[in-house]
Amino acid sequence: MALKKGQPTPPCHSPGERQEPRNLETLLQTLLDEDVMKRRWAARDLAEHPAAAEALVTRLRHEKDATVLQVIVTSLGCIANEVAICGLIDCLYSEHTLLRNAAIEVLKELPEPVAPHMGKLLHDPDPDVRIFAVNVLESLRHPQVEAWLLEVILKDEHINVCATAVDLLGEVGSPQSRDALRALKQRFPEEPYIQFAADLALKRIGAG
Amino acid sequence: MSMQKPSVISDEDFQKFREFFYRKTGMLFEDSKRYFVDKRLLERMAATANESFRNYFTMLRFQASGAELQTLINAMTVNETYFFREEYQFRCLVDSILPELVARRSSSRPIRIWSVPSSSGEEPYGIAIYLLEHWPLLEQWDVEIISSDIDTQVLEQARKGLYASRAIQHLPTNLLKKYFHRAGSHYQISQSLREAVEFTRVNVHDAADMRGHRQFDVIFCRNLLIYFDDLSRKKTAESFFDALNPGGFICLGHSESMSRISSLFQIRRFPEAIVYQKPLEAR
Repeated sequence: MALKKGQPTPPCHSPGERQEPRNLETLLQTLLDEDVMKRRWAARDLAEHPAAAEALVTRLRHEKDATVLQVIVTSLGCIANEVAICGLIDCLYSEHTLLRNAAIEVLKELPEPVAPHMGKLLHDPDPDVRIFAVNVLESLRHPQVEAWLLEVILKDEHINVCATAVDLLGEVGSPQSRDALRALKQRFPEEPYIQFAADLALKRIGAG
Repeated sequence: MSMQKPSVISDEDFQKFREFFYRKTGMLFEDSKRYFVDKRLLERMAATANESFRNYFTMLRFQASGAELQTLINAMTVNETYFFREEYQFRCLVDSILPELVARRSSSRPIRIWSVPSSSGEEPYGIAIYLLEHWPLLEQWDVEIISSDIDTQVLEQARKGLYASRAIQHLPTNLLKKYFHRAGSHYQISQSLREAVEFTRVNVHDAADMRGHRQFDVIFCRNLLIYFDDLSRKKTAESFFDALNPGGFICLGHSESMSRISSLFQIRRFPEAIVYQKPLEAR
C-alpha cells in the first residue's frame, strides 16, 4: 500500500450518481426524488435555470432535509428573479430557524432585487419580521441602508427593532443620523440599552 | 499651495472597521495589529482617492461590486505558498483525521484527499511527504492525492515540481535531501512524488467542473474561499459537501470558518486544529 495516482472521480459507480440528462425538465423531476443526494444535486443544478424558481420555492415548503433546503435557498439567491426573491422573503415568516437564517444570509447579498421590498418589510405588523429585515440590512450594499435605519429608529415603536437598527447605525451612520439618534434616546429614556447603543453610535459617528 | 491634511484613522474608526471586517471575513485584528491595519487602510484610501476614512468606509461597505473589499482582503492577507505552511493541519490529518477515517472503514478502497487550489504544488506534495514521514499506516492503506487549480500555468508548474529556495525554507534538511534534487538554482521534487499526485484543472464556481470531482475523504481548501463573495462561497461549500463522502472532512485556512459560510458541516475540534465534517448520516 502506498501513495497512488488517483482520478478526480473514482471509476467505480458511486451511490446516488446521476445518470439522467441535466435539462430543466429532468432536474425538476429529480427535485422530487426520494433520494436526498439526487434532490440536492438537482437543486444546485437548477440555479442555472431561472424558470425553475417557482418549483424551487414550492419545494421549500415541503422539503424536510436541511441540506437540500440550504441548497435550494442558495440556488434561489443565484437566480434572484422576482419569484425567487419573494420566495426567499416568505422564509422570513417561517418558524424554521435554519431556513429563515439561510434566507437572511442570501438576501443580504442581493441589494437591487431586495430593495423594492424593504419598505414593506420594515412596516410589517410582526416585529420579528421587522428585526429580520434589519438583519438583512446588516450587509446589504445599498445606498438606502442608512435612510431605512433612520426611519426605523424614528418611527418604530418596538424597542427590540430599534435596538437592532441602532446597533447597525453605529457602523453605517453618517452625521445625518445624529438628530435621529438623539430623538431615539428621548423616545426611550428609561431603556439603558438604547441609551448605551445610541451613545456608542453617536461616538462612532463623531458627534460625541 | 495648500498642504493636504494627512488622513488619520481614529480609535472609533478602527473599532468600526475591525467589527465590519470580522463579520465579512472572520479575520479579527487585535489592538497590537493596529499599525499594520492602519497602514494598509491608508494605502487603499490613497489608491482610491478617498481623503477621509468615512468616505473610504462607505465605499467599502456599499460598493455594489464589492471589488474594493476584495482588494483590501488581498492587502490584509499574506499569500505566501511554501511547503508545510500551516503544518498543524497536516498533524491533524495524521494524528486525528486519518485514524478516525480508517477506524470506521469497512473496505480497503483508497483514502482520497483533494487539495484545492493546488497553486504550484507545495500543498499536495507537502501532504504526500507528511504522510510518508508521519503516517505508518500508509503501509496498509492506499492514498490518492488529487490537486486542482483554475490556472493552467500553475498546474504546469506543479507537475514539474520545481521550487526556489523560498518555497522549501521550512523543510528540514533531511526531507529536502530525501525528496528533492538540485536542478540549477532550484529544487525539483522526486519523480516518484510527481507521479503520485494527480493535477486537474477546476473552476470551483463551475458546477460541471465540480461534478467531476467526487468521493473524497478529506478536502484541503485553505485561503481560497476568503476571496469569494458570500453567495459564491456558500455555493462552493455546498459543492464540496457533495464531493465528500459521508463523514469526510474539510480543512480551511486558519482565518476561515465554515460556520460563517454554511451550516451543512459539523465542527470538529481536534487537539491540533478545528476542521469541518460532513455528517456521517448525510448522503
